[in-house]
Amino acid sequence: MTKDVYHGPLEKINDCCWRIPKSYKPGMRVDGLIYANDELIEAIKADQAPEQVANVAFLPGIQHASLAMPDIHWGYGFCIGGVCATDPNEGGVISPGGVGYDINCGVRLVRSNLFYQDVKPRLKPLVEEMFRRVPTGVGREGKYHFDPKELKRLMADGPGRLVERGLATPGDIDHTEARGRLDGAEPENVSERALERGKNQCGTLGSGNHFMEVQVVDAVFDDEAAAAMGLEKDMVCVMIHSGSRGLGYQVCDDALKLLRGVPEKYGITLPDRQLACAPVESPEGRHYLGAMRAAANYAWCNRQLLMWQAREAFESVFGEPWQGLRMNLVYDVAHNIAKFEEHAVGGKSRRVWVHRKGATRAFPPGHPEVPDVYRRIGQPVIIPGDMGRASWVLAGQEGSMEQTFGTACHGAGRVMSRTAAVKHAQGRRIDQELERKGIIARARSWKGLAEEQPDAYKDVNLVVDVVHRAGLAKKVARMRPIGVIKG
Amino acid sequence: MRETFEHTADLGLRVVAPDLDTLFAEAAQGLTSMIVANLDQVQLVREVAFRVPGTARDELLFDWLNEILYAFESGHLLLARFDVNVGDTGLEATAQGEPLDFDRHQLEHEVKAITYHGLKVEECDGGWLAEVIVDI
Repeated sequence: MTKDVYHGPLEKINDCCWRIPKSYKPGMRVDGLIYANDELIEAIKADQAPEQVANVAFLPGIQHASLAMPDIHWGYGFCIGGVCATDPNEGGVISPGGVGYDINCGVRLVRSNLFYQDVKPRLKPLVEEMFRRVPTGVGREGKYHFDPKELKRLMADGPGRLVERGLATPGDIDHTEARGRLDGAEPENVSERALERGKNQCGTLGSGNHFMEVQVVDAVFDDEAAAAMGLEKDMVCVMIHSGSRGLGYQVCDDALKLLRGVPEKYGITLPDRQLACAPVESPEGRHYLGAMRAAANYAWCNRQLLMWQAREAFESVFGEPWQGLRMNLVYDVAHNIAKFEEHAVGGKSRRVWVHRKGATRAFPPGHPEVPDVYRRIGQPVIIPGDMGRASWVLAGQEGSMEQTFGTACHGAGRVMSRTAAVKHAQGRRIDQELERKGIIARARSWKGLAEEQPDAYKDVNLVVDVVHRAGLAKKVARMRPIGVIKG
Repeated sequence: MRETFEHTADLGLRVVAPDLDTLFAEAAQGLTSMIVANLDQVQLVREVAFRVPGTARDELLFDWLNEILYAFESGHLLLARFDVNVGDTGLEATAQGEPLDFDRHQLEHEVKAITYHGLKVEECDGGWLAEVIVDI
């Protein structure tokens, strides 16, 4: 498959939403809906992402529509930025491709009582210290080692397990989506190969688009919500983006192998093999769900241990315990996951499997799954942008429940392929360009930094603007990066 | 002939070879070259034997590349030269390389997985063509 322009139908519904009618392809069970403005939709049409939105509409049991957020880009099978909810009572399926290889890839935001003027003189040593302490890049192992028995406990219980080892606090758990633990995890469904890949990788960042950033709050848009999150202008924060490392990748890979021939067995016709799926209520579906939940819990442990190492780096540079620096977790959100949630569909309340592939849960004020401290303002939605411009924190709004199964975007979304980004960076030193803008960046690989340069991404401000105007989540604060470590 | 091709978030690998054995060997080398930038610095000091069953050629390629990826992920073994024999019911191969050495090997990408998206092994003018997209 090549990077062809999308030539299919796209009907403008309003300034924030476009439709691919289900009449586009025989086999589509629902419409496709893409959230975008006039400018973003032009970039979205440049590759096959809209075609993938249409393909997802083939999945049995899909409800309402095959949805895509404004940061949508071409993935494999599902587009990245895609949302799909299936009802098990209508033969609904679970699809590992709708979660992705990096199960529970996600983001967390940590605040502090440090301000830009406190950190600026020590920024370089701080970034160096983070880069020295936090394992980044290909093949780097962590300092935390877990034997298979302990690994399985982490997969069953999530980061709550790390509290007793002194590597997490109850406050950290309270501020993690699902409290860092999906019920029904079956560590026994996780293969030996996955355990082998995961045993030394918990607490490692990885490579690709994963990062740890020091950021500064440069604008506050909602005072009440920002105050509830402990954020104010010029405050220094840390944002962490990583997932379930090799363990999760292997769980997805094992599931896709197990699903060879399974769609045919259940009479399911698919336009792309990477959409392989099984009915939720089938042995194959249940097996994947148990393993996926275990990998998700492992991912929350990974981000917890990454945060712990960031706190240690700050302690070392600023000579004060992290508790004194008030480095509290604002929130942790998953953006590659499938969850069984209650939503209103056609006026009726139903339990559906919501697949979020590069999309973030954005529950509104009052939702019982939102922690008490955020119940009035809505769930924090953390949106990483790129390493040169901005990242955002939003708060989920009622519109997400009405339109997108409680979901908003997950990032800026790529606009340039990796190969094009490397060509674009020829002869340039991305790290030096960033330093001239006051951003200290450290990476293991020049190519990695070139592929992830700011120009490779859409403008996150445009993406967030669509989500805000569509009523899915409201703007709370914008952060700008000042320190970046990558693989 | 081996090249990478564009995919927005990930990387594509395209290989053309006169026969299936060379196609599979070149594809494996292409995968390692995505992980390590200086493939020529991988010394051939360790040899590993593989046996991968399968009749569908595209799935066989998928499973074969997964074995190479797993050798790196589990044992940090970088494999750089391959002798592959593709049969009707699977393949047998020997691969040579060495364990990862951070001082000599310039690492480039963490390949998360081989994907089925756009996966193909088919006959073409020059012999055989393979395309595979890997998740970065």
